[in-house]
Amino acid sequence: MPTWIESITRSRLWRSFFRHGWPDNPLDRSLVMTSNIFFHLHPVKMNRKSLRVTYSFGLGVMVVIVFGILSLTGLLLMFYYTPAIEHAYSNVVRLQTQVPFGQLLRNLHRWGAHLMVILVVLHMARVFYTGAYKPPREFNWVVGVVLLLLTLGASFTGYLLPWDQLAYWAITVGTSVAGYAPLVGSQARLFLLGGPEIGQEALTRFYALHVMLIPAAIVLVTSLHLWRVRKDGGLAANDAD
Amino acid sequence: MAQVPNKVAFPKDGAKTYSLVELVKGAPTVMVEKGPDNTVFSFPVVALLELLLVLGVSALLLLMSLARNAPLEEFANPTLTTDPAKAPWYFMGLQEMLEHGHPTLMAVVLPTVMVLFVMAIPYLDNDRRGSGRWFTSPRGRKLTWNTTLYALLAMPAFILLDNAFPPRELLRGMAPDFIAQFAIPAVVMGLIVAAPVLALRRQRPTMREVMLVLFTMLFVSAIVFTVTGFFFRGPGFRLYWPWDMPGGYSPFDNL
Amino acid sequence: MQSAEHTIKPNAIPRRSFLNLAFFSSLALLLAQSLAALVKFLKPVPSGGFGGEVYAGRVDEFTVGSVNRVLAGRFYLVRTEEGLLALWQRCTHLGCSVPWVDAEAQFHCPCHGSLFNNLGEVTGGPAPRPLDIFPISIRNGEVWVDTGKPIQRSRFDAGQVTRA
Ligand code: HEM
Ligand code: FES
Repeated sequence: MPTWIESITRSRLWRSFFRHGWPDNPLDRSLVMTSNIFFHLHPVKMNRKSLRVTYSFGLGVMVVIVFGILSLTGLLLMFYYTPAIEHAYSNVVRLQTQVPFGQLLRNLHRWGAHLMVILVVLHMARVFYTGAYKPPREFNWVVGVVLLLLTLGASFTGYLLPWDQLAYWAITVGTSVAGYAPLVGSQARLFLLGGPEIGQEALTRFYALHVMLIPAAIVLVTSLHLWRVRKDGGLAANDAD
Repeated sequence: MAQVPNKVAFPKDGAKTYSLVELVKGAPTVMVEKGPDNTVFSFPVVALLELLLVLGVSALLLLMSLARNAPLEEFANPTLTTDPAKAPWYFMGLQEMLEHGHPTLMAVVLPTVMVLFVMAIPYLDNDRRGSGRWFTSPRGRKLTWNTTLYALLAMPAFILLDNAFPPRELLRGMAPDFIAQFAIPAVVMGLIVAAPVLALRRQRPTMREVMLVLFTMLFVSAIVFTVTGFFFRGPGFRLYWPWDMPGGYSPFDNL
Repeated sequence: MQSAEHTIKPNAIPRRSFLNLAFFSSLALLLAQSLAALVKFLKPVPSGGFGGEVYAGRVDEFTVGSVNRVLAGRFYLVRTEEGLLALWQRCTHLGCSVPWVDAEAQFHCPCHGSLFNNLGEVTGGPAPRPLDIFPISIRNGEVWVDTGKPIQRSRFDAGQVTRA
């Protein structure tokens, strides 16, 4: 190791940030994983079986990545968007026509949302077909189903926000379905929309769900999901003979 | 002087700093002597793989975003419905199901049953063997593909037949709604889904194989219904070829 | 000490169980109350415009047999021999707004092709019940429709018509 790197990794400043040296030896490579909040999701060493591309296709990891991209682009969209029926549509038009990279940002967020739904469904299919739901991973499978529903919820609530004809009628048709649930149906629809038809109240509620409640729930439940993957002994490929 | 209590199986030797305390049965929890070490350091190997995935996914999404703009139609107008009015694509399967029966059955009962079934899978099939292997066994793989083929034939056939001879219209005024829109579609769809499981009974399938068949049935049907609703439904929600839609409508307008 | 022990009745609930019970049932009650408060909080509060009383016009503007669209109220005012009927334009199938098609002399929903006659009864398509109606009141020859109270019905009967 060059001495200048060594002098950096030995400095008091570096040592106050990181509790390990330059990771070119087994000890420091272990310490990277155990002493770093982001890396510590992973174990220090991983079985090659679980890393085979044709086992998991990395789908779960890709879902996390797309969710990260969606959070970032969504946050930027919030700088130009107002959840008011008089402004929402014109805000989106302005974003697309006047804000530099605004159209690109909106595209990334929308195609990202579609991609996330596809990836979550594919991930579920691969978990099912590899039999990875079997004990001791039953509970994590159920957690996964909750994540699937949350993902659909996030996508659906976001669909209304541009307040164009597409959004309005897609959400009208989509929420009318809820009205058919016996006993609670029409009440559930009323609570979701904040009124008998889609209007300002519905936009307000969908916005709160879309930018705050559902993403927060996804972050929380995904943490549980990933923690359980490790507590259940890593990927099921490790147990296979 | 001090008598060793006779309950202690392995008395401690006072001259030693260690002792045998207990014998534990079962597999050791540490990875010693379990064949050649087949592990890699997460850092940097896995970290780099994940960085590659980040770059790959970002590049893919960027390309998609450069290739096609997100749609934006006119300002929302509550008095004028677009034709067709479609839900987001991932709910088009549901909307397509709504064409074939009563909304309470198609949009509430069946989806609820499906979600509950999917959640229950690991509790129905709780045999640990065969976990972590694609399709578990060669027979499982064969069953999956056969079921896929069957679903790809049966479900479109059901959609087309029901579209040509809808019990709702044929029995209007003759039988109560409950029969025409609830009982008939529920029984027909139930039979289509259950048929491969019944056919399998003689081969004494394992629980895993039953699950493979049922899940494949539901999964492929969901895809068939979604594709039908998204690509093949045009104005008036009637069936058309995707490239032959009237009025300049394209299914992709609805992304 | 001895005497105190003697006063405990043999079948009395031990103090510890009693306190546990009291504590956990209070906790459950607190939770239930918070939940009820949340539900009340989330229940929509009615606002003006559509959802309130809408003025449709004077009674004599509506000729017998006509179907008149009232945009502001999102309903159709239908004049029959007997009187007036206010039909909500919202399709009872999945909520699309249903236009009256003069050429076909019926309501024809563009979404999944539900058909309704001028009384709102289903004559075709997937809609499970007739179009919802709004209550009508006639004051000094003026027709007022309360769009906040849609009424669901399973079939048409003469009692739904407001005499005019
Ligand atoms: C927001 C949605 C989700 C995220 C972010 C997510 C993330 C992950 C990640 C990163 C893994 C590690 C393995 C891999 O990359 O494939 C994993 C494994 C797993 N996931 Fe998910 N997942 C989600 C949804 C689901 C769904 C819908 C299910 C099933 C219903 C599910 C069930 C499982 C199970 C059982 C495992 C362990 C797999 C094994 O041991 O091979 N997850 N998930
Ligand atoms: S919404 Fe009118 S027919 Fe479906």
